[in-house]
Amino acid sequence: MDSLHAIGFYVSSGVSLAGGLGVALLTRRGWRGAALGLVGLGLAGIYLSLSAGYAAVVALVCFAGCALMFASPQYRRVDAVVGPLWRQLGGVAAALLLAVLAYSAFRGDFAYASFYGATFGTANLGRLLFAHDALATEAVAVLVTAALVGAAAAWRARDRAR
Amino acid sequence: MAGEGPREVSPDLVAALFVAAGLVAAGVFTAAWRRELTAALAGIPLMFAGAGVAFAAIARFAASGGPQLFGQEFAILLAIAATALVALGLGIAGREGSR
Repeated sequence: MDSLHAIGFYVSSGVSLAGGLGVALLTRRGWRGAALGLVGLGLAGIYLSLSAGYAAVVALVCFAGCALMFASPQYRRVDAVVGPLWRQLGGVAAALLLAVLAYSAFRGDFAYASFYGATFGTANLGRLLFAHDALATEAVAVLVTAALVGAAAAWRARDRAR
Repeated sequence: MAGEGPREVSPDLVAALFVAAGLVAAGVFTAAWRRELTAALAGIPLMFAGAGVAFAAIARFAASGGPQLFGQEFAILLAIAATALVALGLGIAGREGSR
């Protein structure tokens, strides 16, 4: 990996982690949406430096969609009934998870293999998605369809109830 | 040590897995910490993004033999699934919630 790729990887990693912290800590929905877009931008950069160009494009589009949904004026808030003690326990659990995953990552240099793929490799990815693993692609397609139909039905029911 | 040149700072599997761990932990923290349920939904794409980075990194650095694109394929499917779950969650929240 050349130095340009390395710089791109570390800058993108910083951008995506900063965006992740913003999503966790920012309170205004507009800022939260912008932070989610920042995560998508950093994630696309990480994928690009990992020679996964097509995944970068898909991640950018998906995170832009998520950011728009969170920043939209149609956004409604639903307050949780969970007390502050459980939230603090959840924060501690997230810190413990980070420690465990970081330790696992530190022990992750056990394997190295040369990569022979192209930066985009769209044709090979298409073959995998629609021929080799068509069932997984169809399962995600069903999930997307069900989610969109469910979301549309929920919005229509809310509008009718007004 | 004398005689050794400057160490090359190049990303490898460990660095990518560290980033993935950070993203997953940020997602879990978001889901656990936010008082608003709809804001907690933003943790889903973060967690899925972390998993996607780990898969893509393993495909890039450590997958030997066979097609080396399984990780990228899984990262793509995870990003799409995260978007669908966020849309469904925000749709249901839009039915129940207030501005």
